[in-house]
Amino acid sequence: MASLVLLLFEALHPEDADLAAGMPASCAHVLQGETAVRGSKREVMRSSRRSSPEIRKDGGVMEEEEKLPEMRESGKTYGIWRRACATSTRRHSPATSGKTTDNVMPLQRMKLQRNLEVWKMGVVNYLEALKLQERLAADRKVGKIPDTVLSLQHPPTYTLGKRQTYHNLLVSKDDLKTMGAELHCTERGGDITFHGPQQAILYPIISLRDIGFGARNYVEGLESTMIDLASLYGVRAHPGKAGETGVWVGNRKIGAIGVRISSGITSHGLAFNIDPDLKYFEHIVPCGILDKGVTH
Amino acid sequence: MASRLLWASRAASYLRISAFHRGFSSVVKDLKYADTHEWVKVDGTSATIGITDHAQDHLGDVVYVELPDVGIAVEQGKNFGAVESVKATSDINSPVSGEVVEVNTELSSSPGLVNASPYDKGWIIKVQMKDAGELNSLMDSEKYVKFC
Repeated sequence: MASLVLLLFEALHPEDADLAAGMPASCAHVLQGETAVRGSKREVMRSSRRSSPEIRKDGGVMEEEEKLPEMRESGKTYGIWRRACATSTRRHSPATSGKTTDNVMPLQRMKLQRNLEVWKMGVVNYLEALKLQERLAADRKVGKIPDTVLSLQHPPTYTLGKRQTYHNLLVSKDDLKTMGAELHCTERGGDITFHGPQQAILYPIISLRDIGFGARNYVEGLESTMIDLASLYGVRAHPGKAGETGVWVGNRKIGAIGVRISSGITSHGLAFNIDPDLKYFEHIVPCGILDKGVTH
Repeated sequence: MASRLLWASRAASYLRISAFHRGFSSVVKDLKYADTHEWVKVDGTSATIGITDHAQDHLGDVVYVELPDVGIAVEQGKNFGAVESVKATSDINSPVSGEVVEVNTELSSSPGLVNASPYDKGWIIKVQMKDAGELNSLMDSEKYVKFC
């Protein structure tokens, strides 16, 4: 679990240039020596494609073929793979950029290893991200892909959970159009919330059955990831009281969670307020909790 | 010893630190169990289905149960509804195939019954079974205890 937390934490790293000024280099040290857990022959299939173009740091739009090796080599993500490999001899060779990477572990190597693929996407429309998650979750269920995390942002979007708590939306649908925001219903847990630019969103598509986690452990893990990240920036965040899932600073929420678990595979995930426009939250009762506010 | 374990896990959850897993989820004999942690109680061709104590413990406090409509067909291994807890919705799979004849409407107003009484008042649906042979692929209570 610790390694998952750290990998999630790493995925929040601002390779997305517009999100944050830059993680202190000290955070890299926390990744050392982390190799937990799993043993088996793993093959990382590179056939899945992302649905929206990734914006390169210099502003150009990346071509499909360029994306994967660049992801591999970009700063800290590459750093993770290297450190996770430290205690076992051959996993994938970083020099094979541009080639399809096969993480085939010889059967006699009984070291336990977990793969996590991190997709750093820019601003992605909610529905497109949803379709991508469904496809990835189906692939993950049959074992075609390893555990995957999508790291992205959304344009202004309000979303409802499975309970469809429309009563917590305080404006009409026409007003939403004027604001330029969309509204979507989803199958995730949780109440109504808002997503927008400058809010870091992570969608881990992982198999909880493989790690023996239940919903509660997983959600607590997501909460600790956000708390750890906040503490790196000197923000003292804490999990909510019983029944109030999420990450709070005092009385206000800085991180929200809404997850769907289907056949042991997770989709949806967490949203962490870095610097979104908080005015959008005034149009809803966030997460259905009446007397608490939101912060960033 | 047991009370000390109980105190320790209560203290751990108060302090919000991870605790060792309490290995003593209860299991009821005479029920059949699926590897996705649902139980089924057979009465002739009628089957009552719910989730196990292990499952409700791993889920956390249930706040919402999505029930199927009466008359819907369910299939072994396929999902028929969902439970929501701690902002996570988890699918529930049916251990047998058949037609839904009754759903536990109490759960709409008291979803916590799933946590408090997972084998009794927290039952979820009743199904008219299509094929009793499917029960052979399920685990009995001893196998399920080992599985957990």
